[in-house]
Amino acid sequence: MRTGKLAKSGRGSWRASSIPFLFLFPAFIGLFVFKFVPIVVSFTESMYRASFRIGGKQFVGFGNYADLFADPVFWNSMRVTLLLNAILNPLQIVLAFLLALMLNLKLKKIGLFRAIHIIPISVSAPIAVIMWSVMLNQEQGIVNSLLTWIGLEAQPFYASAGQALWVIVLIACWKGVGYLCIFLLAGLQEVPETLYESSSIDGANKWIQLTRITLPMMKRPLIFVTVTATAANFLLFAPVYLLTQGGPQGSTNTLMNESYFSAFVYADMGRASSIVVVLLAVTLCIIAVQFRFLRAEH
Amino acid sequence: MNRNTIAWAVVSCMLVVMLAACSGSNGNNTPEPAAATQPSSPDDASASGSAAESASENTGNEVVEINFLSAKVEEQIMPVIQAFEADNPDIKINYEFTPFANYFEKVEVVMGAQSSDVDVLDVDITATSSYVIRGFVEPIEDYLSPGVKEQWVPKLVEGHSYDGKLVSAPLHNGSQVLYYNKALFDERGIPHLSPNVEDRITWEQLVEMAKQLTYDTNGDGRPDVFGFSFDQISRAYQTLPLAFSLGAQPISDDGLTASGFTNSPKMAEAAQFYYDLFNTWEISPKIGFPESREYFNTGKVAMFIASPQLVIPFTNAGVDFGIAPFPYFEGQTIATPTGAWALGLAKNSTKKEAGIRFIEYATTGKGSQIWIESSNNLSALVAEVDRIIDDPAYDEFPAVALKLSAYESRNTAVNRPPSPGFLEWESRFTRAYEDIKNGADPKTALDEAAAEMDRLLGRYK
Repeated sequence: MRTGKLAKSGRGSWRASSIPFLFLFPAFIGLFVFKFVPIVVSFTESMYRASFRIGGKQFVGFGNYADLFADPVFWNSMRVTLLLNAILNPLQIVLAFLLALMLNLKLKKIGLFRAIHIIPISVSAPIAVIMWSVMLNQEQGIVNSLLTWIGLEAQPFYASAGQALWVIVLIACWKGVGYLCIFLLAGLQEVPETLYESSSIDGANKWIQLTRITLPMMKRPLIFVTVTATAANFLLFAPVYLLTQGGPQGSTNTLMNESYFSAFVYADMGRASSIVVVLLAVTLCIIAVQFRFLRAEH
Repeated sequence: MNRNTIAWAVVSCMLVVMLAACSGSNGNNTPEPAAATQPSSPDDASASGSAAESASENTGNEVVEINFLSAKVEEQIMPVIQAFEADNPDIKINYEFTPFANYFEKVEVVMGAQSSDVDVLDVDITATSSYVIRGFVEPIEDYLSPGVKEQWVPKLVEGHSYDGKLVSAPLHNGSQVLYYNKALFDERGIPHLSPNVEDRITWEQLVEMAKQLTYDTNGDGRPDVFGFSFDQISRAYQTLPLAFSLGAQPISDDGLTASGFTNSPKMAEAAQFYYDLFNTWEISPKIGFPESREYFNTGKVAMFIASPQLVIPFTNAGVDFGIAPFPYFEGQTIATPTGAWALGLAKNSTKKEAGIRFIEYATTGKGSQIWIESSNNLSALVAEVDRIIDDPAYDEFPAVALKLSAYESRNTAVNRPPSPGFLEWESRFTRAYEDIKNGADPKTALDEAAAEMDRLLGRYK
């Protein structure tokens, strides 16, 4: 048993090592209340089904999941969600990276260009969607007016099953690329200039510098941006709800939209919760794969 | 004071501040009223519930505040609220407006959470059974004063009842008329339409006129004026009469089966007509609600199916318009929309007595008169409807809109099919018709909708 000075230094050591955790404690409380508890509540809710004739709700175990996996509407939503993310995530990241490379150039008034690309971030999602819906309105929208003015045919845009998903991609890119670019730009500015100077002396061209210096050094910011974009895009809701409501013909009916309709239009909280749980599981799996393949070696 | 002590002090302060911010109550909150004794059954309501509630709702000169969730336009409903408050100084109405397009979802969220924050709410006739089954509203039959129920049109009472009991009080009657822009008709040399029911036009005639009234004004090859539009585009209220006119039945008699009914050949025929309006003849603009009203307001649509209450805003907008009866398919049944809004009593309300007083005031007597005048809707009161039909003053424009509505409500109106899952059915029907508007094959769209509707309706079996 420690006594005297040794005992006092043990207590002091415990106190010193506990300080960081105490500072993190309020954040953990927030994470627990606003993230973990809702997940548990959703999972619990997914085990119940409302019984309108008897009143209240009945425990059905995994019955909601069984019904879900037998429902073609759910599988269409899964297909739309995966397709949307397969297109949107890499597109956003590539565009954000290219934009960051351009904004990292040492040009006069580059600050002004950086500020312009931040503007979409400051516009709220509903306002952005309404603005785009007006511009892309097939009857009176300015985009169709421009198309017909230059001799092209007017397009249905979000009124077409073949084009609606691409409109969602467009709006999400317009809104999200600037945001992701901020993190990549910060990462680019952390890459030491000396690496580029020494590689130039060794005869490396721009492409080699990009692939052998920039990209490896940007792995951490790229992981962050990839995970952030994935999480945000799997949960994408505002453009779909405000613009297409899942149509036309289910072509934009993502899992989030189907969950919303199940909960607040069809009053089926059990089904809505089970969709959300499945969505969470799919998102976690994909993010785990991303961490596995993108982890930095240094 | 060493660094560890300072760190502990900072962390402790942060925890205290966070807990205080997350606290559920503070000194500024108005204390919750004492919980009223809930009646064990509706039969006990008038005997014990009301007495207990009045004891908790109003002690002495205390003003009772009731929350009214509504989709009614503020400038139309406020005169009713203000008159009620003037005549009932012990009750104050907190009016909360939600646009029609979002109202049903708002009710699902608020009432689905079993909130007691709402005391009175708008109840659409189609939501009657659903709201009762799901515990959103409580039937008002046993709360009403004697003789009140008999004042309303029997068809409306039937539509707003469930299991033999009146659920909500009809605020007004519903019908639709055909508005047309006289200036556009004159420009294209088309004779004006007659407001007489004997001269009712057919859908076929309307289509031929609409083709002439659809044209390009600026030479860009795309129409800028369209011949026809519905007000509530793709919604069942206005589009189901197409099917009713052809003799279709949208849902089974028990209201629980869609396959074989929603996608029947006659329903498909009506859907094909709807498809042709937008995609074959291209006489209707591919827009949504409420953009459709702006199109008629600004002369971009020549003929427009809408409620008689829009006489006021169209007049204010300076549109030179006429009124005609709702069309029908040649050789088929004349079927017109009906059913409208009512005021319901929230089941979890703790101020039911005050709520009933407002409901009775707004739907009968002085309040009803004010509402009908401010909204230009058709009254739900039997005496008033009969008076309009017989009064020659309503032969004149624009009052003829009300006379037409009164006639339709008594002679050609067809209620939307009763079903406990009608809101879900209607939501899916609207999505199917939106797809049809945007070019989907009508039969395929209805087949897919019917399959999903069966799953939704099956929860009520």
